[in-house]
Amino acid sequence: MKNLKKFLHARESGSIIFLIILYAIVGIINPAFLAPESLMACLNDSVVFTLLAVGIAFVVLTGEIDVSIGAILGLSAAVGATMLRDGSPTIAAILVALVIGAVIGLINGLGVAYLNIPSLIFTLGINGVVRGLIYVYTNGAWVENLPAEYTLAAGNKLVGDLSVFYAVTIVVVLIFHWWTSKTRHGRFFTAVGDNIQGATLVGIPTKKTKVLAYVLCGLFAAAAGMIYTSRIGFITAVAGNGYEMKAIAACVIGGIALTGGQGSLLGAAIGAIIMSSISRILVFMGFSSDYDNSITGIMLIVIVVVTTVAQNRSIVQNRHDVLMARTLNAVKSDEKGGTR
Amino acid sequence: MKKVSFSNGMKKFFTSWEFVLTMILLAEVIIFATKNPKFLMPRVLLGSLNDIMSICYISLFVTFVMVTGGIDIQAGSIVGLTSIVIGVAWQDGGMNIWTAALLAILISALCGAMSGYFVAYCGVQPMVVTLGGSFLFSGIALLVSNLSATESYKGISGFPDSFTQLTKIKLFDVLPLQVIIFLVLAIFANWLLTKTKYGREITLIGVNKQAAEYSGINAKGIEMSAYILSAVSASIAGIILTSYLNTAKSDIGATLTMPIITAVVLGGTLSTGGKGSVAGTALAAIIIGVLKFGLPLCFKVSQQYLDIPVGLVLLAVVITRSVFSNPQVIAKMHRKS
Repeated sequence: MKNLKKFLHARESGSIIFLIILYAIVGIINPAFLAPESLMACLNDSVVFTLLAVGIAFVVLTGEIDVSIGAILGLSAAVGATMLRDGSPTIAAILVALVIGAVIGLINGLGVAYLNIPSLIFTLGINGVVRGLIYVYTNGAWVENLPAEYTLAAGNKLVGDLSVFYAVTIVVVLIFHWWTSKTRHGRFFTAVGDNIQGATLVGIPTKKTKVLAYVLCGLFAAAAGMIYTSRIGFITAVAGNGYEMKAIAACVIGGIALTGGQGSLLGAAIGAIIMSSISRILVFMGFSSDYDNSITGIMLIVIVVVTTVAQNRSIVQNRHDVLMARTLNAVKSDEKGGTR
Repeated sequence: MKKVSFSNGMKKFFTSWEFVLTMILLAEVIIFATKNPKFLMPRVLLGSLNDIMSICYISLFVTFVMVTGGIDIQAGSIVGLTSIVIGVAWQDGGMNIWTAALLAILISALCGAMSGYFVAYCGVQPMVVTLGGSFLFSGIALLVSNLSATESYKGISGFPDSFTQLTKIKLFDVLPLQVIIFLVLAIFANWLLTKTKYGREITLIGVNKQAAEYSGINAKGIEMSAYILSAVSASIAGIILTSYLNTAKSDIGATLTMPIITAVVLGGTLSTGGKGSVAGTALAAIIIGVLKFGLPLCFKVSQQYLDIPVGLVLLAVVITRSVFSNPQVIAKMHRKS
């Protein structure tokens, strides 16, 4: 019972329930959607966005934002894919990609945390530079003719229709979710985002936490880039363009507040599943997938408006309750004073 | 007395951010001109501004939104929506092209009003609302383009001459109408922000929204109006762009969001609100435009690399400003002198 209550109060449960209701409705209209292979395809297709959303969730939890992840995805994918094409071992390519992601994340983190530059602006500048570097690196040409074993890896299945990539991703996400929600150091992220002055006062290294958040974000974006490479099979200079906005949207849908301090990584992962299954749902409902962006936009706006209004109402209600309790106490003590 | 205030005014100007921007712009022009004298030909220089006019128009009014402490990342999608609404209403709806343009402006104002309403009256974060808006309006634009008989990726073209001539008019044979519109809009926006009650109220909302509300200002309505203004400016940009390119497409403004924010921030507007300068934004937008035009012309930098210098300029500016506003650095400088 207690566990159930706890579950209902967690922010990500709203999105889990939303996901279940959404899938149930689509399932009633078109039962084929609920077939195991179709559901697994929803999960498998969300892998790139899951990684991006969970990565950016670290940053958003600390109350900052990172709009350079689409470019990080593009650059690390371009470099990794070029190495693979030129015959480097897969491990080396992945490592180099991850290092690129981590370094760009580190630069972002240092700029935001130590130079006190508003994160949107700093990462916007980095976004421009990195996006340009992709052109410099690839000369605007496509990176293609990748080794078949790498591009086929995206089709590898673990159990049934669950792809290896998604299985690994979800295990990593669950580990980090546990780390950020249950352990002392992991909870620094939420603490910093919730109340930075308070966090500083209790001795949390706020700046280092923010830098770490950006590095993790860069790493996740680079990992997403390598999986993107495997799934798509070729890299263009505009790969990942605009993905940052979709990742942020996935976080919001997953119950993470952009003001920081509220939400969880699991929520981001669920938001990513919802986001990336919209176009699939549309097809199963018999609509054109052109409705994709409209639905995403409406969903995003409805979700934030409803949660914000509900939150504001509960704040007002709380204030009212506190005030009432105080007045009652004052009245009581007055009465006591009168009898004395 | 008057002399003192004049010198004060000069001093204020020389220490202002607009002065720094003017210097950057001058330096840019001088460097480009020495490298390639062709750059200074008025026809070339003014013609180069055509490509960035939509960024210029919109960033002027996104400044208002940022002064209230918000942000607007939906303007780019409104440009596309405007363009496709004009195209479809004209080609498939049989409307007069100017009525279609008016319709597009009205629709854009509604879009802005919707986002503004959620931000001002429901207290939702501006970033999220306008992010949702950017998805929604670009999605609607795509759906509108499906109403047309023309395939959406081709774009609707073949507009009447009166409409396409709009962006070919040149005053004194050099000054394109678009640049004149920009100047008019810039002067209007600057006047609105610095000289009117409305501008003061916008600034006060950015400094302290509660205080603004307690002082009897219709803070919510005014905050909403900033989003309407920026949406209408995006719509004007969409009309001009459609006329200039002679094509109506739904994704015409998809890449504008980042440059707009860059221009506003480079112009000295605080992203936290409460302080902003239309003149700064206008200068910054021109700096970006000249940079994007001059580098390929004078240094043979490929068009596609241009994100790098723009990003670097933005980074250099924000880093320098952050370093110089750091109390420790200021204290050190004073000790030395």
